[in-house]
Amino acid sequence: MDSTLKFLIKLGALKEKPRRGWQAHQIPDAETTASHIFRTIFLAWVLGSKKRLNINKLIKMALVHDICEVFAKDETPYDPLLPASFDSVQAQRKTENILQQWPKFSLAQKKKKNRLKYQREKKALRKLLSFAPSVLRREMEELWEDFEKGLSKEGRFAKQVDKAENFLQGMEYWAKYGRIQRDLWLRWAKEIFDDPVIVDFVKTIEKQVVKTKSKKQPKQNHKKN
Amino acid sequence: MNDQKFYLSKEGFQKFEQELKRLLVLKQKKIHSGAPTALHSEELDIEFVSFKEELDLLENRIEEIEYILKNAILIEPPKGAEREKINLGAKIEVEVNGHTDQFILVGTLEANPEEGKISNESLLGRALFGKKIGEQVVLENGPVYTIKKITY
Repeated sequence: MDSTLKFLIKLGALKEKPRRGWQAHQIPDAETTASHIFRTIFLAWVLGSKKRLNINKLIKMALVHDICEVFAKDETPYDPLLPASFDSVQAQRKTENILQQWPKFSLAQKKKKNRLKYQREKKALRKLLSFAPSVLRREMEELWEDFEKGLSKEGRFAKQVDKAENFLQGMEYWAKYGRIQRDLWLRWAKEIFDDPVIVDFVKTIEKQVVKTKSKKQPKQNHKKN
Repeated sequence: MNDQKFYLSKEGFQKFEQELKRLLVLKQKKIHSGAPTALHSEELDIEFVSFKEELDLLENRIEEIEYILKNAILIEPPKGAEREKINLGAKIEVEVNGHTDQFILVGTLEANPEEGKISNESLLGRALFGKKIGEQVVLENGPVYTIKKITY
């Protein structure tokens, strides 16, 4: 089979891969990695245009930032505390308890967790890129590396855009299903965003969220095995 | 227009210096190895384009690091009574919602919230700056952070 076709078929898997964080929150029809990438690209473009950034590079970075998930697990800030699967009643109860609180790790644990995640994702990325057209492999890996390590101003901005999209989606799910710990997310936002354009955008979401009532309250909806 | 200033720890500064040295060597090697000859045809010469793109990437990164190092302000551990306050480089232990959490306050270039490195330009970073043990920080729609420990 043609290499470009193989690469695109592999990438297509992201259209079917639900985001694990939302599955942990028992969000019905949780968005896929591809859906997250789609809006991250627009967010990068729209917010990035307010800054002196290379938009072409920024958009490409948003495109590649999560493609490693074709072969890597979609990790959440609560991993490795979360169960591998959320299918059983027991796993759902355990997950609900874990999600009630902020994930507690020491600085050393956070550092180790981050390093191992990076290594796993880089391995997965290289596996995926082995199917990519050879002329683009290097560029895609460089962009991913830049995003992961925040090497350039575009890389640092894209990293925050990725989290801002996640925050927006989380607050949308909170309004719709109420299964998200809103206050923990608002706290998280104040710790992680530092780019003025993103901070402003997140404040706009926050203003909207605090005057909105969640339509549904968190409900215990354990599947029967 | 004023240049942007970058607060860097000693380790952070050294990391950029080392990367710059490595990239300059790489650039020289690449130039000496010679560019593939561009073919005079209407078709795209992939080898030549790829060489040019790699060189551009290297040069962009070199320029960026040189700019950072030129505008870097080294974070020094504070002295005397200033050590009792949260400043850049401080390792902070806080109590939030009955639980303990730890942060290191860093400049934006070294911020990595996944590793507990909070930017001094984030809302929490700004609020913590200058606070002492026992003091509290309250952010709009956020929890109360009580400062338990500050070390450098």
